[in-house]
Amino acid sequence: MSPRRATSGGRIDRLRTIRFTFDGKAFTGHAGDTLASALLANGVTLFGRSFKYHRPRGVLTAGIDEPNALVTVLRGDAREPNVPATTVEIYDGLVAESQNRFPSLKWDVSAVNQLAGKLISAGFYYKTFMGPAIGPLKGTRFWMLCEHFIRRAAGLGRAGRAADPSRYERMNAFCDVLVVGSGPAGLMAAATAADKGARVIVAELDARLGGSANWSGEAIDGMPAAEWAAGLAEGLKSHPNIRVLPRTTVWGFYDGNTLAALERVTDHKEHPGKGEPRHRHWVIRTKKVVLATGAMERPLIFPGNDRPGVMLANAARRYANEFGVLAGSKVALFTNNDSAYHAAVALQKAGTSIAAIIDVRPNVSDAMRNLASDTGAQIHTGHAVVATEGSTALTGIKIQRFDSTNGVLSGESRTIQADCLLMSGGWSPTIHLASQAGAKARWDNELQAFLPPEPTQSWIGAGAFNGSFSTTEAIAEGHVAGLAAAGGKAAANDDLPVADAVAGDPAPAAVFEIRADGKGFVDFQHDVTAEDVRLAHREGFVSVEHLKRYTTLGMATDQGKISNIPGLAIMAAALGKPIPEVGTTRFRPPFAPVSVGSLAAERYGDIRPERLTPMHDWHVEHGATMYAAGLWHRPMIYGHAGETIEQAYVREARTTRETAGIVDVSTLGKIAVQGPDAAEFLDRVYTNMFSTLAVGKARYGLMLREDGIAMDDGTTWRLGKNDFLMTTTTANAGKVMQHLEYFLDMIWPDLKVTLTSVTDQWAGAAIGGPQARAILASCVKGTPVDNTALPFMGIVHGKIADVPVMVCRLSFSGEMAFEVYCGADYGTHVWQALIDAGKPFGLVPYGLEALGTMRIEKGHVTGAEIDGRTTARDLHLDWMLSTRKPFIGSAMMDRNGLASPDRLQLVGLLSLDNRPFNGGAHIEEELDEQNPHGSIGHITAACYSPALGRYIALALVNGGKARHGSRAFVSDPLRKRFGPVQIVSHHFYDPEGSRMHG
Amino acid sequence: MAERLSPLEPVLRPGSHGQFEDGVGVVLSEVAPGSIVQLAAWPGQEKAVIAAIKKVTGLALPDGGVANGQKAAFGFAPAKFMVMDEAESLSEALTKAVSPETGTVTDLSHGRTAIRISGPKAGWVLAKFFAIDFSLVAFPIGAGRSTVHHDIFAQIQRSAVDQFDVYVFRSFARSFWHALCRASEEVGYEVR
Repeated sequence: MSPRRATSGGRIDRLRTIRFTFDGKAFTGHAGDTLASALLANGVTLFGRSFKYHRPRGVLTAGIDEPNALVTVLRGDAREPNVPATTVEIYDGLVAESQNRFPSLKWDVSAVNQLAGKLISAGFYYKTFMGPAIGPLKGTRFWMLCEHFIRRAAGLGRAGRAADPSRYERMNAFCDVLVVGSGPAGLMAAATAADKGARVIVAELDARLGGSANWSGEAIDGMPAAEWAAGLAEGLKSHPNIRVLPRTTVWGFYDGNTLAALERVTDHKEHPGKGEPRHRHWVIRTKKVVLATGAMERPLIFPGNDRPGVMLANAARRYANEFGVLAGSKVALFTNNDSAYHAAVALQKAGTSIAAIIDVRPNVSDAMRNLASDTGAQIHTGHAVVATEGSTALTGIKIQRFDSTNGVLSGESRTIQADCLLMSGGWSPTIHLASQAGAKARWDNELQAFLPPEPTQSWIGAGAFNGSFSTTEAIAEGHVAGLAAAGGKAAANDDLPVADAVAGDPAPAAVFEIRADGKGFVDFQHDVTAEDVRLAHREGFVSVEHLKRYTTLGMATDQGKISNIPGLAIMAAALGKPIPEVGTTRFRPPFAPVSVGSLAAERYGDIRPERLTPMHDWHVEHGATMYAAGLWHRPMIYGHAGETIEQAYVREARTTRETAGIVDVSTLGKIAVQGPDAAEFLDRVYTNMFSTLAVGKARYGLMLREDGIAMDDGTTWRLGKNDFLMTTTTANAGKVMQHLEYFLDMIWPDLKVTLTSVTDQWAGAAIGGPQARAILASCVKGTPVDNTALPFMGIVHGKIADVPVMVCRLSFSGEMAFEVYCGADYGTHVWQALIDAGKPFGLVPYGLEALGTMRIEKGHVTGAEIDGRTTARDLHLDWMLSTRKPFIGSAMMDRNGLASPDRLQLVGLLSLDNRPFNGGAHIEEELDEQNPHGSIGHITAACYSPALGRYIALALVNGGKARHGSRAFVSDPLRKRFGPVQIVSHHFYDPEGSRMHG
Repeated sequence: MAERLSPLEPVLRPGSHGQFEDGVGVVLSEVAPGSIVQLAAWPGQEKAVIAAIKKVTGLALPDGGVANGQKAAFGFAPAKFMVMDEAESLSEALTKAVSPETGTVTDLSHGRTAIRISGPKAGWVLAKFFAIDFSLVAFPIGAGRSTVHHDIFAQIQRSAVDQFDVYVFRSFARSFWHALCRASEEVGYEVR
């Protein structure tokens, strides 16, 4: 039997032994143990080193409020630091390490920091490391030198560098009532609400439902409270209206009764099931919330209150009653309230000897005296602990007479031998979620605690959360809350379970700190002492918000769960103000640390979905190098063995211009614009006229934003009187759809127009080049494709390989070209038929690079030029601005600033040194490589032009049109590319368009 | 006529996957209806469009929607409906039945991919993606919903107590299928 395991009792499974290691040493525990309870059972008292002073620390609590016993849990190469040992369920093979120590927990060299206490008090780095006014370490340089060492010495656990292989998930849930916490209040609320017909979710952060019933040692309805709770919990699990979520921490209360919770699905499992996530991030939308989150016990602040062996009284009660673990063999208690007496009883029953109970109050009730005498403990009323003894374990305490009304110590100190000191400084209701949800907490002078605010969202509190600390009250309030949440009302004769317990006074004495020589810790995790709080006050920090930031009180991973109230009380005393006047900080999410993985959830490794065209697999099978264009994946080149990218796209573009090429254009945004007012609608959104377009014809269109800046371009096909197919650029499809829907819904709701995204309905292939028409003619059935039947911008319907197709003659490449559309499920079939038909003609498939090359040669604009800053005039598209009708942007496009001749205008550039250009490079009038200056514009797109046999680019240049024929310089200091260029028209190739018109 | 090629065909692996030792939680399959058609009614013309749907398909559209195995219809937005049929050419028939003064008919048969998820854990798996309430109370049989999973827009119809048909854009279908399979692993899934 382990040295500290009671011979019986607890809710662990003593028949199941679990093996784990801590700091490399093998230990055993039982199923149901936490890492903290198992280590305590093995006699371990030293769990970690503190943040700043590297003081030895043990376990202070038994739950999520633990500030000291932080460990790193290792799984394979993944390490998770800063996990409270009190929340780790042990499993066979668990590997955990202590933190912030070197070389070992027992012998830590940085413990020397303890001697430098005065130097490293609150805010020390703001003051100590400011450098001299002159010299090599002036100003902040000295700090920057020291920072490296300070950061290394301070801190918590070390994060791992290996990728986390775990999977995480998100889950959405809806319910009528969310019950947070499953103590007696939560259990009652859930059962009552569900019986009333409400859909209920119960979230419990521990593995076992029952909360305080698991460790109170009380009886409810004549049976042990833990058994009563277990019975009720079983009922909840099988209730059709209830979903029970154990190991689930509700950490955020957001607007509209939306709550966030973290479920630890497999952290306690040696072998997670296939596909099981490690954590699940729950987003719960609920009509009502029942907050039954209980309360947290506070420490007392006195010198040496952080020594291993000092623990919260009711944490020790929990270790004894829930885990069968004794916090010490000879225990002293130090309290300002009655709850410690119940803890003493629990420990004595479990087999511990109680040396003394030190109570700051001058008098205690007879009931408490009787409890104390049952344990054999000597009571020292009107006394306080002023020091603790020992090094890495407690050996004894010193006590002195204490006046709780004024905090004055008197008389000689006495030593009491004890290996464990249990303290209780009163209770703070766990109001975090209510605080997140809105209003300010209110101070209760009787309970010396902040109680929940009036609800500003739809929640109801129950039990200790409300400051109702007895189990009988919790049961009654849970019942009422459950009924109210389900829309019912409690009746006076409701027969409710009653707890059998010696009633204590819930009000503590208003004592938070014993001021004696030595460090008394307020925030254990951040090593903030009572003296640090007073120092902050002396240095002029009056607001509680400033106090928090200057001292870092409450800013550690535990977010000051147990330290905030004592810190506030000490600040209030220093200011000479009552606590409510000093106020408290508002709690923010998360209530407890949340794994970032759970927030990324299923997007881990798959940040964005892939959009694939109907011919995707064909492209991959035929050697295409794919390229992500937004969400779409498109062929960049179909490279041959040994080809560079440039060689490949030059070959593809040249072949297209010489014979024919085919490109997948399925990604173009396609919007069906339908209805009797469709033509009118298009007239309003495009700069040019569409109502005059004949059925069976297409027209190039330009859209402006309301401010007159160019927005998008594309062709729109009139398929019927009331039926248009609009195409947009691939990148802008979503933006254009939103733009159109906004105007239709908000500005012109009277127009009878339906907009539908049909991008995915159609597969599109553009086939261009001198042989394009011949290829098409050889495979299209049911329609001629000659110049009469299919003139420029004409549309015909026919069949290719038995599949209905729609063919429009339009050109992006500048060649005689056709876009062939068919139902997407036939895309590959038609594409293959075109490829087969093109074989005798030398048809090649080409990718985005060749597409870009040919459009640059033609001077066609894309998103690189329609960049949200250019106007139609800047891009020489002013011929498209109709003067016969208003359109979106027409009222603003003629503003002086937009019509100025010295704006950036689209031009072409020829490389005069036969070297390539890069997009983004500047154009300057004078070349000055050392001090580039005087940019007159920039390159938007560049390529090697097979048609011209040289490197060319499109650029936006100040007053560009007037500069045609002049020389300038490309200046690209980042990529060290400087050289002469000639500015020319953007129409490099076939400016008359004779090739595409045929 | 040529065979229609689904974007899922190369990735559909029939059989049981994931943690299925204790039975599968969901069955995933592609529905592949011949026709998927969207209808929109002009204000005040909803009843006329509903009547046209009934005339062409025989489906009487109640408040939410209806599914009978061969055909299905549901409203997915005010005055907007999706209608599906195993047979092709539904679009042509509906176009004849809906005049321009009543509303519009848009053929999406190739533009949307229909994925069916059925089984006791169907709602659980879908809740990982979509922030909508999949309980029978909130989402009755036949009803449809428009929703979105990050970049993937989806329309969902509950076609039976434990069965949902999810319509996604064709280009996203393969990505969504992979995500759906992954999310189904923990409950065990069968692909049919």
